[in-house]
Amino acid sequence: MPLLSVRDLAVQFKTRKSTVRAVNGVSFDLDAGETLGIVGESGCGKSVTSLAMLGILPKAGRVTHGEVLFEDVDLLKVPDSQLRQVRGNDIAMIFQDPMTSLNPVLTVGRQITEALRKHMDMNKDEANKEAIALLDRVEIPAAKDRIEDYPHQFSGGMRQRVMIAMAISCHPKILIADEPTTALDVTIQAQILEVLKQLVAEENMALILITHDLGVVAGTCERTNVMYAGRFVESAPTPKLFAKPRHPYTLGLLKSVPRLDAARKEKLQPIGGTPLSMTSEIEGCAFAPRCIYATEESRTKTPELRRIDSDDHLVACWNPVQEEDMPRIEIVAARDEGVAG
Amino acid sequence: MSLAEAEAQELHLERPSSLSRDALDRFIHNKAAVVGVVVMVLLVLIAIFAPLIAPFGPQEQVGPLDSSNPAGPSAEHWMGLDEQGRDVFSRVVYGARLSLLVGLVSAAFGLSVGLVLGALAGYFGGWVETIIMRLMDIMLAIPALLLAIGLIALLGRGLVQIMIAVGITTIPVFARLLRGSILAQRESDYVLAARSLGVRGRRLLTVHILPNALAPLIVQATLVTATAIIDVAGLSFLGLGPAEPGLPEWGKMLADNATRLDRATHLVIFPGAAIVISVLGLNLIGDGLRESIDPKMRS
Repeated sequence: MPLLSVRDLAVQFKTRKSTVRAVNGVSFDLDAGETLGIVGESGCGKSVTSLAMLGILPKAGRVTHGEVLFEDVDLLKVPDSQLRQVRGNDIAMIFQDPMTSLNPVLTVGRQITEALRKHMDMNKDEANKEAIALLDRVEIPAAKDRIEDYPHQFSGGMRQRVMIAMAISCHPKILIADEPTTALDVTIQAQILEVLKQLVAEENMALILITHDLGVVAGTCERTNVMYAGRFVESAPTPKLFAKPRHPYTLGLLKSVPRLDAARKEKLQPIGGTPLSMTSEIEGCAFAPRCIYATEESRTKTPELRRIDSDDHLVACWNPVQEEDMPRIEIVAARDEGVAG
Repeated sequence: MSLAEAEAQELHLERPSSLSRDALDRFIHNKAAVVGVVVMVLLVLIAIFAPLIAPFGPQEQVGPLDSSNPAGPSAEHWMGLDEQGRDVFSRVVYGARLSLLVGLVSAAFGLSVGLVLGALAGYFGGWVETIIMRLMDIMLAIPALLLAIGLIALLGRGLVQIMIAVGITTIPVFARLLRGSILAQRESDYVLAARSLGVRGRRLLTVHILPNALAPLIVQATLVTATAIIDVAGLSFLGLGPAEPGLPEWGKMLADNATRLDRATHLVIFPGAAIVISVLGLNLIGDGLRESIDPKMRS
């Protein structure tokens, strides 16, 4: 039985003029200790999915459908008081922008101990000790001296480490990292991912890594789900997804990433067109207007995720990418080790 | 040493100063603000040590009861005598107590009520917000002085009543300011992050949102204290001030002697100057605070 099972989750945002269908029936399972990547472009519903699972959607947002089963309890149905026990304690989250995700008027120590004292019933001294230990674990040097510092006294990378320390403070079973490296420069990105990978392995946490960066999931996640217009369009073990993408959108994403090993004259191939407006009911496949593989069926019937090639490879497409078009990207072995570790 | 350690050690050398220290630093380097602080400190000291500074009591008759032609400034009476033979300098000195107290209490009253209303409106939203904010709009639609006059008519004349009346007129400004400030903070990432850790309702508001939303209110409070002093003086001038005769309040002193402006200018100039100086001092501090606290004005 999976640790977390999301079934047919749908979220809508109501504005005065229209209804935005941000998430349109998302389903996935997550086992204990599994690392799952969710990839997609801006506005495809990645973040909203995770906020909905924790019940912290912005006010205009509403879950219209589906269930989120965590250890067999539907988080969407439990009272808020019970959900608060899950937040931070069982499922914790890291956000995109470390520069704004820490409260500027509280010391980092105070912010880390807040969760410890709430969920772990520690007194002030115990919590302080634990906070220092946590900062040590995320490799913030001289943790003891830095616990009294304010967020603005840390660099971006260091702040993200603090966020990670806060998130893992109560030994959650699931860690959701929403674009954890997007706001950081590349060298720091690698460090942060390394810290994340290490902690996930040590604590045997499950990780949901939300990103638009295929490079990030390549080195970190065992499985990757590709999201488009509020739905998963493809789900496969990460190496398989990179080597044999079957959904045209996945293929498009892979082709639009610059590669060091490409010939110099080879041009990037961006995906043409723009995503559909999500305010109207989508008929057929949402990607059809931008898709060169689209058939008549794509425009009228919405495809469901179904098995293709093997049991662990799912794709939602009427006319999947054929063998001869696949880019056959192999994930570098060094990164693969990280996945296993 | 890992890369991270090296990075942090480098940081350690030039660790940036704390937020409040930064603000203090900017404040100290603002000459106008420092002048304002010096002025206000002097005024407060004068108010506290009034009995030591003033040569006579505020009600003490030291000269002739000559209401038609009071004596002007002299070596003995620096600011002259008033129509009842009282030393004007002593009255202005004692007046600092009353006027500053009235200004501060009015502003504090407005601030505390406005704070609660603004926090409720900003945090809960919905119909709570609608009711509170429309009420504030109605209060703002009535000119402040007129509103205060109406309130005094309702409450009666007196020192406490005038402070409440002026205080009430300042409520909407604080409430609106705090509501806007809270709305901005409520959607910020760190609030979302706190919620994702299971922090809830009241704690979220008091520990996370309020401290970040308060800065503009501090600035506003100084400026409101200044206007409160003027308002109280204005109300006194209109004859709606404290009813006790002879009370050394600057505005009341102006009002009492307005008819003698042609014969005894000193009776009006000195209390008037005292009002100007204290309001100027408060405004200088307020502007200085705004510049040092407001993140948008940081260079």
